[in-house]
Amino acid sequence: MLSSQRDHDDPIVRGTTARATRRELLSAAALGVLALGAKPARAAPDGELRIGAHVSLAPTWFDPAETSGIITPFMMLYAMHDAMMKAMPGNPMAPCLAESWTMAPDGLSYAFTLRKGVRFHNGEVLTAEDVKFSLERYRGASSKTLKERVAGVDIHDPHRLTIRLNQPWPDFLTFYASATGAGWIVPKKYVQQVGEDGFKKAPIGAGPYKFVSFTPGVELVCEAFEGYWRKAPAIKRLVFKVVPDEATRLAALQRGELDIAYSIRGELADELVRTPGLTIKPAVGSAPFWLYFPEQWDPQSPWHDRRVRLATNLALDLKTINQALTLGYSRLTGSVFPENFEFYWQPPAPVYDPARARKLLAEAGHARGFDAGDYYCDTSYANIGEVVLNNLREVGIRVKLRPLERAAFFKAYSEKKLKNIVQGASGAFGNCATRAEAFVAKGGTYAYGSYPDIDALFAEQAVQMDRAKREVILHRLQQLVHDKTIFAPIWQLAFISGVGPRVGQSGFGLIKGFVYTAPYEELTLKGKA
Amino acid sequence: MKQYILRRVGYSLVSLFLLSLVIFLFVRVTGDPVSLLVEPGASPEDIENMRRQFGLDRPLWVQYWHFMASLATGDLGLSFYYRTPVLELYFQRLPNSLLLAAVAMALSLLIGIPSGILAAVRVGGFWDSAGKIFALLGLSLPSFWVGLVLILFFSVYLGWLPSSGSGTTLHLLMPAFTLGWYFAAAHMRLTRSSMLEVLGSEYIKLARLKGLPEALVIGKHAFKNALIPVITLAGINLVVMINVAVVVETVFAWPGIGRLLYEGITFRDFPIVQGVVIIGGGMIVLVNLLVDIFYALIDPRIRLES
Repeated sequence: MLSSQRDHDDPIVRGTTARATRRELLSAAALGVLALGAKPARAAPDGELRIGAHVSLAPTWFDPAETSGIITPFMMLYAMHDAMMKAMPGNPMAPCLAESWTMAPDGLSYAFTLRKGVRFHNGEVLTAEDVKFSLERYRGASSKTLKERVAGVDIHDPHRLTIRLNQPWPDFLTFYASATGAGWIVPKKYVQQVGEDGFKKAPIGAGPYKFVSFTPGVELVCEAFEGYWRKAPAIKRLVFKVVPDEATRLAALQRGELDIAYSIRGELADELVRTPGLTIKPAVGSAPFWLYFPEQWDPQSPWHDRRVRLATNLALDLKTINQALTLGYSRLTGSVFPENFEFYWQPPAPVYDPARARKLLAEAGHARGFDAGDYYCDTSYANIGEVVLNNLREVGIRVKLRPLERAAFFKAYSEKKLKNIVQGASGAFGNCATRAEAFVAKGGTYAYGSYPDIDALFAEQAVQMDRAKREVILHRLQQLVHDKTIFAPIWQLAFISGVGPRVGQSGFGLIKGFVYTAPYEELTLKGKA
Repeated sequence: MKQYILRRVGYSLVSLFLLSLVIFLFVRVTGDPVSLLVEPGASPEDIENMRRQFGLDRPLWVQYWHFMASLATGDLGLSFYYRTPVLELYFQRLPNSLLLAAVAMALSLLIGIPSGILAAVRVGGFWDSAGKIFALLGLSLPSFWVGLVLILFFSVYLGWLPSSGSGTTLHLLMPAFTLGWYFAAAHMRLTRSSMLEVLGSEYIKLARLKGLPEALVIGKHAFKNALIPVITLAGINLVVMINVAVVVETVFAWPGIGRLLYEGITFRDFPIVQGVVIIGGGMIVLVNLLVDIFYALIDPRIRLES
């Protein structure tokens, strides 16, 4: 991405690694020379917070029904809408519009009690009808899965409803609350009154900020909703200004035209750190990166030998890579599962030991190293591959970098056409079970093979409705993934933003795994809290 | 004359048809737009749903037929990213681009023409050398770099001008200068060469022999004739400024058509890229057509030769 332009535009996917392009270096050099004499210029009016977005805001992001499975729309959803339950500080599934919920003993239904007195921005009271309407209207990512498994919604009274399932589904809440936008509630009457297009042009929700105006490609203006059930936001007005160029975003932050600037990477992030009054705010999202060995199930392949895979792990100088590419802010978890996901198991910290790596390779019959073939990656992240390649070469694993255009890469990855080493990543929503389903278990979209003990554990957890028991199984599964060295984990990518001097509480990092500022009602300006 | 015009219109339509075909195919060579709208690792089912929604699951010729049929009715399609009609997006951005292009063009002509004349009149002298350096810098310095340096100096260091955005006259100055400088250099070079050609002609020598004042020779007799190719070029450049000021509009977060095109390319938003290119191409074809007709009207040799 990091150096490619499109990567500016999605923090998790395209987010944050930093390969300094000539353009960035020129920008940073110029900034460095001039920043010492920089004049703080006009600040935003009191009670107004200006956020510099790195990506053009799309009207589809104002509508929870259109959630496409990327994290960016949640930047808007957290402002204008509210969900039955959602990730909040200290709680990945905090009760919000749903005050409480219970699962039926047979796992076939979930009963929800709604919070009373919650109103939409137009004054209408939020009821169970709106919840049912929002679920049925949802057409975004994973909508087919959701609709196939949900049998129906029964409304008992305006504040109580039950969602019935066709079969027990332990991950129902994960899908309903975080992997889709189905649990984000829109006003039924208003949507029916103004129509789908009308709703996108003037959305109304139950979130902390009301929509005021939107100019495509320019800005979105929101105003505090005093009647927000949780608390009235401290900042009266939010302005999301689209500033696509990273250096310009930083200049606007330095000048005080912006209070928050998303996605400041590489050399410019260094400059951000050096500028007095500005604060760097790294946030680690839910996108781990890893190396995958698709030939490990082929007895003829060198990758079949666990010692070779372990040597690859030990050859990676992850701390140096992290420092060089993301200023040390990415998380070296040693796992291919995001640490903020439900059922996460923390493996031992990754170790850099090239001497041991060489020894293991010698034991495996590769004392003089070996030609390991191709190293496939998404072109957007080829900069990571370049550094990893050097690490591998140092211990004798000689590979050639084969960057593929992103769509082609994921197509080939999912169609099991790649060989040797694959540099993978995923920012998809879900929990550790959904990640295991896609990348580890038999038949997984990106799994080139599997291990019987892992498959047995996966099948066992899929029908286990007791959360504690399920957690034990999924921990064991992750431990086996680690022990078998199926992958060589790299990092969980950090998204770096900058915050100006007027901001009190910026909101970064309050919600684990969320890279943008949120929840908005917690944001403050200095002296205005 | 009628036959000449009909033939020119025919050529223009063929050009537009070829342009539509080329841009339709080229944008699709860049890759699958759906991959940019979902997370890596998204389920194949979600990816397929989105492809279906955008009509990308249909055969290429069906997509092209649909595109041309819509184009014939003035419909440029719905943006994948904004889910808004492309024409609506285009007209939202057009006033900003017109404003920026008008000011940048005025600047480029105000700087380029006088400096071109001065360089031609003082050929080989200081002003000629200065003009050449000015043109060299204007044409060779990348716009993004010029833009960033201006931002750093006038916004960050001096604090005089807003770094980006639109809305006031102050917002307009830096992007207009950055855009105008490049074209000023082009106009300066053309003015200089055109003036040199005219100044070497027989009728200018005659005017001088008649003892006309030098200012009159240059200002009235030479300048008028030298200006024709410059104005022709400026007309084409104005269309370019309106439609493809991609870098300048992106650096300064100026909400014009160039940035719309940039967004279209960034997100592989095929309808936006196709729409902007078709309209921009249409404008250039139209300007060329009008120029051809105008030339034919004033010079009968042209229509007879063709």
